[in-house]
Parts: sequence; structure tokens; C-alpha cells
Amino acid sequence: MVSDKHEELVGRGNREGAQLFRDWFGELSHTAETGGQAAYVFVMGSLNEILKTFDLPVVFPEINSLQTAVRRVAHEYLAEAEDYGYSPDICGYVKADFAMLQRGGDHPMGQVPKPSIAVLTNACNTYIKWAEIWERMFEIPVVTIDIPGTREADGQTWSGHVDFDNDRRYVEAQLRELITTCEEVTGKKFDIDKLREVLHHANGISVGWKKVLELNKTRPSLFNALTDGTIFLGVANGFRGTATGSAYFERLVEEMEYKAEHGIGTLTEELYRLIFVGVPCYPIFRRFNEMFTEWGGTFIHSTYLWFASGGTNRGFEYDTARPIESLAEGVLISVRDAMDSMFHQDRVLADMIEGYHVDGIIYHPIKSCRTVSTGLADARRYLSKHHDVPSLFIESDMMDRRVVSEAQMKNRIDAFFEGLASRRQQATIG
Amino acid sequence: MSITAGIDVGSTYTKAIILDEKREVLGRDIRPTGFKLTEVSRATYRQALDNAGLTEDDVDYVIATGIGRHQVDFKDIHVTDLTASARGSTLLFPKTLTVLDVGGQTMKASRLDSEAKVRSFRLNDKCAAGTGAFLEKTARYMGFETTEIGPLAATSKEPVPISGVCAVFAESEVINHLSMGTPPSDIMQGSIQSLVERSVQLMKRVKAEPEYTLIGGILRFDTMANAVRKQLDAEVNVPDKDTVQFVAALGAALLGQRRLEKLREEKSTAADVA
Repeated sequence: MVSDKHEELVGRGNREGAQLFRDWFGELSHTAETGGQAAYVFVMGSLNEILKTFDLPVVFPEINSLQTAVRRVAHEYLAEAEDYGYSPDICGYVKADFAMLQRGGDHPMGQVPKPSIAVLTNACNTYIKWAEIWERMFEIPVVTIDIPGTREADGQTWSGHVDFDNDRRYVEAQLRELITTCEEVTGKKFDIDKLREVLHHANGISVGWKKVLELNKTRPSLFNALTDGTIFLGVANGFRGTATGSAYFERLVEEMEYKAEHGIGTLTEELYRLIFVGVPCYPIFRRFNEMFTEWGGTFIHSTYLWFASGGTNRGFEYDTARPIESLAEGVLISVRDAMDSMFHQDRVLADMIEGYHVDGIIYHPIKSCRTVSTGLADARRYLSKHHDVPSLFIESDMMDRRVVSEAQMKNRIDAFFEGLASRRQQATIG
Repeated sequence: MSITAGIDVGSTYTKAIILDEKREVLGRDIRPTGFKLTEVSRATYRQALDNAGLTEDDVDYVIATGIGRHQVDFKDIHVTDLTASARGSTLLFPKTLTVLDVGGQTMKASRLDSEAKVRSFRLNDKCAAGTGAFLEKTARYMGFETTEIGPLAATSKEPVPISGVCAVFAESEVINHLSMGTPPSDIMQGSIQSLVERSVQLMKRVKAEPEYTLIGGILRFDTMANAVRKQLDAEVNVPDKDTVQFVAALGAALLGQRRLEKLREEKSTAADVA
């Protein structure tokens, strides 16, 4: 018999996450209808901490765009942007966002407000051109935070190292400029105590997110990193720096710990534990996952949950006693990690193989995004050379159903699992 | 009497039209292009002349068009098939302002001005899923001849979506649908609708305005024109089935007549001055 506690806890993160998402879009619609101010930001370094201090609602165009694909209307937006003159080869997120703005912010989940400011980092080269489109369309200030990346593979430096300290000061100076711009845009004076409060809530999310990801070492896995993970990720981004977001992750950890304690997994029979590398295939989001679960395969981790959370997975905790300095340090470490998750993720994946009991790695390069796709072939070769872990390379897109071939994908996935099954059989025979 | 010839060396078929100064078609021929473009253009030309009861000496001007136009070694000049199709379409339907040409390997939408000149145009993307070749391949894969495409699609009850932009991907979708027991008629109609969606998108990009004229081999099938009518929610002109593949060749031959008229005018002006 299922207990009340079981009923309450199992699946709570998904239910509450979906509700928070609806609430968030509801607030954005309200902002749009009342002509309120909003900030446009990106998942890799949203600077939500500063924007929330100024009570600026945040709009994530990447999330808006992927939602059009999940809701199976992305092709309409893409066609409109291409009618305007955008090439089919340009990032689908950019095109869907552009078309949505051309429609006056009309989105399947509500109304998206116009921006008063755009904030971005250099984590993705397309961010810079994308923001320039808004700059022209809306004549708004665009603040680009230049985050120094890792100089070489495995070459990260930390506090106390001259390079790191220089980098931190460089980021801090840019954050102070952002604060000044926010003051000008909102007409509000910066309140450092409010920033401390926001940082405190952001810490709750970072700690919770890291813990949730680590808990999936459990067998059977507690959540599917591709499907459930994307819901958690949305909350981590949209509610960063809020009490609501912090409480959500506290409750999510509680749910995962309960599931771990009671051996409640995502599949009836978990046969293969997989890591997903890249950006999900949103045009056939559910079906993509089913092609793996039909074989008893589940995604126990995903690099998407690293870079698309802006490196929050590292669990960096801000020191609220020295807020701006610590924020600069956290942004530097987290965004640097997000960038590394796209290019140097092979070392981290290698370290996870044993601890997470990984049976295979699925690489999913996409047509729309060269930033996340370019390094995948090299990363795969590195892993194959140094570790005996099977991997699969399947290509499609995050937005454009015209380049998603379900039949071809399924054929490769089936062959991959046949290989995994045969490998396991041979290992059993010895 | 001035006689001109228009030779359209398309990726799939080569067409020739022999035209007189009254815009009467005296002869024509069509045959698969193959891979020897110079030879096929010459053979098509000669057959069209034979059909007209004429010889090469009777022809005053030859204009080549189509993707293989540079290989026509007996041409006087060559023009793009966009220009030729614009002229051919307005000869058949004088109020044409938008032309959609769905050929074997390319799909083209052109917006014309009131003098049948191309004001703007758009071609399909790099891959062939939006072209006639894809429809033919789909039909062949399912065991049907090209001529059966129209009748097959006409029996469709529930067309299935074919969204692939790449012909190979789209073919995989077809195979997938077949393996799931989808009737070939629904797959065929789904492929046509996919083609039509792409066509209409191209037309929008040139800011299409009526009258719309549809040309190219695929328009031999009524189902294609009907689907475009439905998507545009407007009437469209379609040349009769015998002519629909010859519009670019016709336009080239017509341009030849115009060229001769201009040359005559220039000669007459020069004589007056002298």
C-alpha cells in the first residue's frame, strides 16, 4: 500500500516545477500587459542575482524558444523568421525568439514583455549577436559580461592564484558597471543588503542542485536527467535568487532522499545507465527519451544540466559578508565551468563513469548550435581512448523538426542497445 | 517570317520549343536530360524542328536556358530559367505577378513586375526534399510509377506529416511510416503537402501577389495545384498538362523573338540615320 508520504513526495518536484513555470509565465504576461520593465538574460550567466536586487523580472529567450518546440509550434516561428530573411542554418532559438518578438511577444505560454535591458556573457558567441538584435529593435542598453575562460584543458586556477585573482577583479569591475546601468534603467538605488538576501537564496538553489545531481548516483536512478532534469533546470534558472526557488530545491532534495531510501527509481527495470551530452531534441522531446527507456535505458546525468544552469551544478556558495566580490568569484567559477562543460567535459565524464555506474554515453550534436556541438567528436574520442565505455553519436536539432529524423535515430539507438546487451552477455559468460 | 528556338536543359528533362513571330508554337520535344547535356540539347532541338517541318537553317535565333544552358553549343545567347519562366508565364497568363516553378531538383518562386521582369526571387534550400525528384523517389520507393503520383495521392484519407528538409531524412520518414502500416496514398499526399508548404513559404518570401502561375513537371498532378490553392486560399493559373513543363523553353523562344525585333529596330534606326 502506498503511504501518504509516498503520495506527497514522489513526483512532487515535477508537479511543483510545472506549476512554478506556469506562475512565472503568468507574471511575465502580467508585466507585458501592464508595460512593466523586464530584463532579457541567458542561461549561461544570467546575473539574476543583480537583476533580482532591482526587482527586474527576467526573461530567458532560450527557454521561451525551446518551449515552442516542446509545444510543437516551433516550425511556425522558424518559418516566420526565415520568411523575414534568416537562413535555415542560423540558431533556432534566435529565430523563434525573433519571430515571437515580431508577433509582439505572443508565446504559447503567455505574453512575453519587451526588454528594458539585456544582460549576457560571452559563454556563447551567438548571445552577442542575438542581443544586438534586441538593441536595435528596442533601443535598450546591452551589458556584456566578459568572463575569462579556462586557458587550457584541466588548467583552471583558483582563489589565491594570480590569474584567478586578476580574472575575479576583471569580472567584479564589470558587475559594478552592470549595477550602475541597472540603477539608470530602473531609477532605483542599489541596495547591498537586498543583494545579500538574493545571494542567500541563490546559495540555497546551488547547494540543492548539486545535491540533487549527486543523489542520482543511487541505483536505481531517482530522476531522468533528460526529462525530469529539464524541469528542475527551468526552476534553477527562472527562480535563481528567490526564496521560492531555494525552498523548491530544499523540497526536491527531500523527495530525492526519500526515493533513494525506498529504492524508487524512474523505470520499472533499470537496465542501462546513460549520460547525455549536448542539448535535448525538443521537437520530439518525449519520444526521444522513449527510444531509450524502451530498452531499459535511463539518463542518470546530462551535461546540459551543467552548462544550461550556468555552472550552478558546482554548488558555489556566495559569501554574503563580501557580496560583490564573492558574486564575481561565483560568476567566474560557474560560467567558466559552463563553458568547460561544452568543450572539456570529457575529463569530468571520465571521473563519473565508476561512481555513477555508467553503461554508456550519448552524444547529441545539433545543427542549430555549433558552440555546444563542435567539441563533441574530440571529447568522444578522448573518452573512447582512455575508458572502456560505449558511446553513441546521434545528430538532430533542439528546435527544427526538419532536421530531426526519428527513423534514422531509432535505428542507431536500437543498434547501440543491441551492442550494450551483447557486451553484457559476453561479460557474464566471461 | 522569324523563327526562334528556346532550349531548356533542366536537371531532369530537356525541352525545346520552336516559335514563330505570331507566338505560335510550331514544334517541340522533351526527353530526359541524362548526363550528356550538349548531345541531348542538340537531339531535342532537332526533334522539335522535325516536328515543325523545319531545319536548323530556318531558325533565326536560339536562346538556351535551364541549369545546363552553358552546354548548348548552338545557342546565340543564354538566360536563366527565372527570366525565361517569367516570360513564358506571362505569355500564357498575361496578368501573372508571381511564378512558382517546381522542377526536378529546384523550386523557385519569382515576383514579377508589370512588364514580366523578375523583381525578386527565392530558391529552395540546399537539399532536394522540396523538389519533384523527392516526390518521384517517394513514389518509386513505394513501388509506384511517376505517372501514378496524382491518382495515388487523390485516394489519401489521412495524410501523414513529412517534415524532413533533407531528401535522405525525408526518405527515412517514409520508410518509418511504411513500417508502421501507413497507406502509401497517405504518405504520397503527405509528401505533396510538405512540398506545398515549402512552396508557399518561398512564395511568401518574394511577397507573392496574384495572379499566381504554377509551372514545372510536378504541376502535371492536379493534387499539387489544388493543395497550393488551398494553402494560398486563392485561385492559381496552371498551364495545360502538355505545356506545364515547357514554360521556360517557351519563354526563352519568346525572348528570342523580342531580341530579333529589337535587332530589327536598331537596324532600321541606323538606316534612317544613314
